[in-house]
Amino acid sequence: MMVVKLFGVVRLQTGVSCFESDAENLRELLENIPGLTKKEAKDLIVLVNGKSVGRNYRFQDGDEVALLAPAGGG
Amino acid sequence: MATEYGGYMGKVLQINLSTREVSEYPFSDEERKLFIGGKIMAAKILYDNLNGTEKPFSEENLLVISTGPMTGSGAPSSSRFNISTLSPQTGYITSSNCGGNFGYYLKKAGIDALILKGRCEKHTWIEIHNDTVKFHDAEDLWGLKTSETQAALDEKLRMKNGRIRKNGKICIGPAGENQVLYSCIASNERVSGRGGTGAVMGWMKIKAVCAGGTKEVPVAEKEKMVKHTQKWFQYLRKHPLTGNQLPRLGTAGLVSSMQMRQMLATKNYQYGQYEDFENISGEILAEKYNIVNKGCLTCPIKCARTVEVNGKQVKGPELETLVLLGSGLLNNDLEGILRWNYELDELGLDTISCANTIAYAMEANEKGLWKNGLKFSETDELSDIFEKIAYRQGIGDELAMGSKRLSEKYGGKEFANHVKGMELAAYEPRKAVGLGLGYAVSNRGGCHLNGGYLTILEGLGLAIDQTTYHGKADLTMLFQDLMEMISATGECLFTSYAFFPSPLMNHPNAWYTKAANKILPYCGCVVRIINKFPEIACFHLPVFHHTKAFEYTTGMKMTFGKYIRCGERGYNLERELNRRFGVNASQDVLPKRLVKTLQNPDDPSSRVPLKKMKRIYYHARGWNRHGLPTESQLRKLKINSRR
Repeated sequence: MMVVKLFGVVRLQTGVSCFESDAENLRELLENIPGLTKKEAKDLIVLVNGKSVGRNYRFQDGDEVALLAPAGGG
Repeated sequence: MATEYGGYMGKVLQINLSTREVSEYPFSDEERKLFIGGKIMAAKILYDNLNGTEKPFSEENLLVISTGPMTGSGAPSSSRFNISTLSPQTGYITSSNCGGNFGYYLKKAGIDALILKGRCEKHTWIEIHNDTVKFHDAEDLWGLKTSETQAALDEKLRMKNGRIRKNGKICIGPAGENQVLYSCIASNERVSGRGGTGAVMGWMKIKAVCAGGTKEVPVAEKEKMVKHTQKWFQYLRKHPLTGNQLPRLGTAGLVSSMQMRQMLATKNYQYGQYEDFENISGEILAEKYNIVNKGCLTCPIKCARTVEVNGKQVKGPELETLVLLGSGLLNNDLEGILRWNYELDELGLDTISCANTIAYAMEANEKGLWKNGLKFSETDELSDIFEKIAYRQGIGDELAMGSKRLSEKYGGKEFANHVKGMELAAYEPRKAVGLGLGYAVSNRGGCHLNGGYLTILEGLGLAIDQTTYHGKADLTMLFQDLMEMISATGECLFTSYAFFPSPLMNHPNAWYTKAANKILPYCGCVVRIINKFPEIACFHLPVFHHTKAFEYTTGMKMTFGKYIRCGERGYNLERELNRRFGVNASQDVLPKRLVKTLQNPDDPSSRVPLKKMKRIYYHARGWNRHGLPTESQLRKLKINSRR
C-alpha cells in the first residue's frame, strides 16, 4: 500500500488530493485513478520519489508517488 | 513628434522636476522602428542621456515610464507598462514591468512615454490630462500607504472635477519615500516591483502620477486586428497553461511542480525542497483562500488571486512571494503570507528582495556573523520588521540596504543570494541550471524573466535535462530576446506560453513531447542560425500571434525573425549601457553556494556549471570574452556605440 498525491490542475479537476493504492506497477495505478479516465491518466506526469519512471515500473515499499500536469507561471 | 505608425500616440513627454519645465522629448519614427517601446524604448532614452558617471539618487538620473505600441490596442493582456531607471540596488539599468491600468491611461492622455528628471523642491504629485500637466502639493499624501494614496487621489480628483474622471495611477508607499533600496511603485494592486524604482521616485519627491484623457490608440489595420484578436483570445483560452492552469491556480500553481523538480528555494537556497510545501501551495490557496480570479485590462488569463486579509478583499500572493516568505524562511503559515504580501504591497516593498534579505539575515544570525535575533521558522515578528524596513527604524534601517550590502558589512557573501545587487527569484537554480545562467547574465540582476526563464523547459512545462549545460546558453539567449520584445510591445509575458503548442503541454508522455525534450538541448545551432540570419525566419508562427498583431497595430512589417532581432537589439542596448557603468563578465556571477556546493551531495551534477555556460553564451551573443558586445555586434544591431 502506498500513498499517491495529486497536484496542480489534476487535483482541482478530480477533487482528490491523495489516495491509497495497492497497485503493483505504474500501468495498473494509472488505470485506477479516482475521477480520471484511463485516457486522461495517460497524460499525467508521474514522479516516483521525485524521478520519472517507465510505464512498467514496479512499486516498492515506501515509494512516494506524485501525479501532476505541466505548468507555467513566473 | 507625430508618427505615421499605429499603436503609438506620437509623444514622449519630459518633465524636469527641478524647474517644472515640461517639454516633448524627440523620438523619431526611425527610432520607433528600431527601439519599439516599453523597456527597449526606455533603454534607448537612458542610453542617449547617461554616460556612466551618474548615480541612481542624483539629478542626472531619469525615471522613464513607457508603454508599448500594443498597450491599449485591445490585444489580449496588453495593458502593460514599464519603468526603467538606474537602479539603486545595482547601479545599472533596471526595467520593471507592471500590469494595472496606468499604461492604458497614459496613452489615453496621448503619451507613449513619460520621462521624469531632477528633483522637486517639495513633495509633489503630478496630474496629466490630455495635454495638460499640473503639479500638486503632496504633503498630505506623504506617509500614506499605497492603497490609501490611490484612494486619496481619487477623492482629490473628485473634489476638483466634481466627478472621478477615469484615470490610471502610479504611486509609492513609505518605503519609496524613505528610499529603501528595493522599494516598488504601485498601480492599483499591481506593482513595478523590482530594482528599486520606488526609491528613485521617492528621491525625486514624487508621491504619485495620475494620467488620463480622451485620446484613442490608433490601430493601423483595425478590421484585421479585430479578427486576429478574437482568434488570439480563443487560442489563449484553449491553451492548457493560459486557459486552464494559470486561471485556476495562478502563478502559485508552480509551488508543487518546483518541489517535485527540486527547484523550490528553501532555507535561503540551501535546499530545493521543503517538507511542508503543501501548506504554501497554489492548490491550498485555490481551495481555501481564493475568492475570485482577477486580471488586468483585456486579459483572458486572469492569473491574480483575491483573498481576504483583515476583513478586506485584497490581491493574493504570487509564486515568488509564497516561496520566498514560505520555504525560503522555513515558514508554513500561509495565512501569514497572505497578510504579509498585502502589508509589503501597502508599504511599497518588493516582496522578492525583502524576503531574500530577511533570509540572508536569518542565516547570518544562525552562523553567528550578525547577531540580529532573526531565526528561520520564527516569523511572528515579520509584520513589525517590514514596518521597520519601510520607515528605516532600528534593524530595518540595515535590512533596507539589501543582502549584497549587508554581506559586505557582516560577511556571508556565499549565501547572499543576489546578482549585481538584486536578489534572486524563487527558483533554486542548481536543478535548473539554464536559469542559473540566466540569473547570472541578466541585465537587471537576479531576475528569472530577464534571465530567459528556462525553467519552463527545465521541468515545469517541458522536461529537458535540468542539469545539463547542453543548449542552455543558446536557448537562454533566444528566450531572453523573445521576452525582451514581448515586454517592449506592451504585452504580458504570460501570452508567450502559447508559444508551446498545446499538444506538448497536454500530452507530456507522448512520443513527440519526449522527442522534443531530448532534442531541444541540441538545438543551439538552430537558434544561432536564426540569430545570425533572422531573414530566414520571414514568417509568422501559428502558435505565436504577437507578430501579426504587431503588424496590424503598427503597420510595420514584422516577421518572427525580425521580432527576435528587435529583442536582441534591446538586450544588447541594455548591456552596452551597463558597460558604461562598469558591467563585464566579472559581475555575471552567482553566489558561491549555487556554483560550488552540491544541492544533493550524491548528485555531482546538482550545481550550476556557470563558467562553461557563460563562455558559450557570450560566444552565441557575439560578445567578447569580457562579456561585452563588440563594435561589429553593435553595428549589426544598428546601435550607435559612442565608445
